[in-house]
Amino acid sequence: MADIAIRLTDVSKRFSGTATDAVAGLSLEIPSGSIVALIGPSGCGKTTTLRMINRLIEPTSGRIEINNNDVLSVPVTDLRRGIGYVIQQVGLFPHRTVAQNIAMVPKVLGWEKARIADRVAELIELVGLDASLTNRYPDELSGGQQQRVGVARALAADPPVLLMDEPFGAVDPIVRCRLQDQLLALQQKVHKTIVLVTHDIDEALKVADRVALFNLGATVEQFSTPDELLRAPRSEFVERFVGEDRGMKRLALKSVSQLPFDQGTVVDARCAVPDAISVLDNAGADWLGVTSGGQFVGWLHRDDLIPGAELGAGPLRRPAAQVTPSSTLRNALELIMTSATAGAVIVDNDRFGGVVTVEAIRKCLSSEDQ
Amino acid sequence: MTVFGEAALLGEATNPIIRWEWVIDEWDQIQAALIEHIELTFLAVLVGLIVSAVLVAFALRFRSATAPINGLTAFLYTIPSVALFGLLVPLFGLSRPTAVLPLSAYTLLILVTNTTAGFDAVPEPVREAADGLGLTATQRLFKAELPLALPYIITGLRIAVVSTVGLVTVAAIIGQGGLGSLILTGLRRTFWTPMTIGAALSVFLALALDGLILLLGKLITPWSARRRTP
Amino acid sequence: MLAQAAVPRDVGLFEFLFGSKYWTGADGILASLSDTVVLCATVVAVATAIAVPLGAGLAHLRRGELSVTWIVTLSRAVPTFAIAGLLVPISLRRGWGFEPWPIFIALLLVAVPPIYLTSYTAVKEADANTVDAARAMGLAERNVLFRVELALATSVILAGVRVAAVQVVATEPIRAFLGGDGLGRFVRDGLGQNNDNLLLGGAILVASLAALTGGLFGVIQRVALPTGVRRLFHRQP
Repeated sequence: MADIAIRLTDVSKRFSGTATDAVAGLSLEIPSGSIVALIGPSGCGKTTTLRMINRLIEPTSGRIEINNNDVLSVPVTDLRRGIGYVIQQVGLFPHRTVAQNIAMVPKVLGWEKARIADRVAELIELVGLDASLTNRYPDELSGGQQQRVGVARALAADPPVLLMDEPFGAVDPIVRCRLQDQLLALQQKVHKTIVLVTHDIDEALKVADRVALFNLGATVEQFSTPDELLRAPRSEFVERFVGEDRGMKRLALKSVSQLPFDQGTVVDARCAVPDAISVLDNAGADWLGVTSGGQFVGWLHRDDLIPGAELGAGPLRRPAAQVTPSSTLRNALELIMTSATAGAVIVDNDRFGGVVTVEAIRKCLSSEDQ
Repeated sequence: MTVFGEAALLGEATNPIIRWEWVIDEWDQIQAALIEHIELTFLAVLVGLIVSAVLVAFALRFRSATAPINGLTAFLYTIPSVALFGLLVPLFGLSRPTAVLPLSAYTLLILVTNTTAGFDAVPEPVREAADGLGLTATQRLFKAELPLALPYIITGLRIAVVSTVGLVTVAAIIGQGGLGSLILTGLRRTFWTPMTIGAALSVFLALALDGLILLLGKLITPWSARRRTP
Repeated sequence: MLAQAAVPRDVGLFEFLFGSKYWTGADGILASLSDTVVLCATVVAVATAIAVPLGAGLAHLRRGELSVTWIVTLSRAVPTFAIAGLLVPISLRRGWGFEPWPIFIALLLVAVPPIYLTSYTAVKEADANTVDAARAMGLAERNVLFRVELALATSVILAGVRVAAVQVVATEPIRAFLGGDGLGRFVRDGLGQNNDNLLLGGAILVASLAALTGGLFGVIQRVALPTGVRRLFHRQP
């Protein structure tokens, strides 16, 4: 069981001159090594909560602990040097190169030059930047590149915790998608505790291990895994927030490999035609798949089956619907819907890995419902 | 009865625009005047920089102090130089402080305005990122804010220096005028050469110092020059 | 050139400033005051007459972009005292005497740049907006806007005139040190005679006049702007 990296206990924040708490008695436990997304409508207090963790905002009451240490017990600058912080507009120092930006905290901590240089090179590679950008200035970089530098800078001193405030909001959707993928890849390597504030439910569902859906005052409507959020929304608020197409969203979270193996109406090429016809009859299907030597070769329609001939002798339809084991169920469904054969072929390293049907997908989704 | 003698001998032969013999003879005097002028300018701007730095630091820390500080520096600027010099003579006599204090006071409006503009121009995300990284307030100031405010501060410095050079000539009326005293000498003796030299040198000095500071500015802020290129 | 102020050394500061004895008469305060005011007013008037048409005209014709930056740089570098001093021998040589040409021209050089700059900017901004609006609306609308823009431009130009006036009044006292008179002479005489009271009195008079000039133009600015336009002005972000 993972330990709790960040623990908020009954934390409240009221800004002076306002009538209600921005954050009202929030208690939340963020497990070590996980990505937790804080999401909710505008003004719900998710950013305020985030910024209380590194004390950019001081809580009015309550307790925040990082790795069981009260955040108030250390000098605030020391605290922040142990926490990575990434913001939407990045805030790179325009008068410093990429390398100098990244090296900011290590320098302040007094690392030797060689160690800093190594670390900078390591981070540049880790965030997926080309090494040629090392000595460029921020305004020579694109938005996506700048944000990668921002992440690298935040991770420079290898803090256990990383706070991200709408980090990918300022870039276009294609770049955003790449940055999200990069974050997931990064996390595989570094295993940080990441708290990410976002207003994009799809981003939260894609990236996070757990999602905390806030209502006004940072009231926790639900704190669970993305799948559970979609499968079992706890209230109408949650339902409305995640949107109508919960089922489809869930499909995007599952992969083909989670389905049980299904041979489907696929036979080896050496199979005799009458046997093949009876396979089709049993399944009530019209299309026969043919494999040869473990590889999928094509589809045959029932009408093309010539008794007495070898399967595979005639022209075979190449399958349009092909997926890999790591494809999402959503992809698979998309392909099945648009192909004639009522099934998608799983190709696993060139070998036939089974068939995906709509029925199988539906069964998978509904089997988890009580 | 007049203060200056009636314009009597103004024959062109004996009183050309520049009588070079005089220049050569009195070179020491000219040099001394020039050096005094530079010294006064330097002193006044230095005092102005220090005081304005304190004022700006104060205004950044206590936002409510911004308006009174701006009001004060603007008020000082509107006092005619002759009046300000005159007001201080009974206090300090005809000495350096009498000149340097008003001269510094006149630089304050320019320096405070430009320095404040410089700090205001620092992008908020940069400040927030600096805090988030765990920089102390001092570190943030020197590593992030000051370098970015520097172009504005340097512009203010240029303007302050140039206008101070002009005002130092007026300080000749209390005997601390550098090149201005050459002008007055020429006036008293109705002798053209020192006036021309004094006037020309003060214009030249102002432009030279302006260019010098501009150059120095470009050297210490290489990133802002680079940013101009598309 | 007047005789040196016949103010005995034992006269107190307040007596000097508020005693009517020193205000009246050919070499009293009022006389010097009017001397100063006449010169300054003339300078500002002439400067306005030169700079407003020049600035407005160039802006309207879309020329002289560079002139703006040049004027700004040069006007800062020019030491007025030096220029005035330089002009004295020229003036003397031509038989024009110590006054008024050297100081007049020097003060003109002080007054012209601010007025030129604001005239240029005001017309440039106004023109752009009016042309845009004229394109978007019909001709009748354009007339209305033209009047509004003109009023706004006037307000901006007036601000420039105010700056010029205050700077002229603040610089004028150097005239007393160049063979002239005006309010600055009390400072000059106080210095010459080592009379602190006279010196302080003169300084206070000079400073007060500068402040008054600023205030006066502030009032003029407010009065000159039609109420409706003023409200429009203030509502603009």
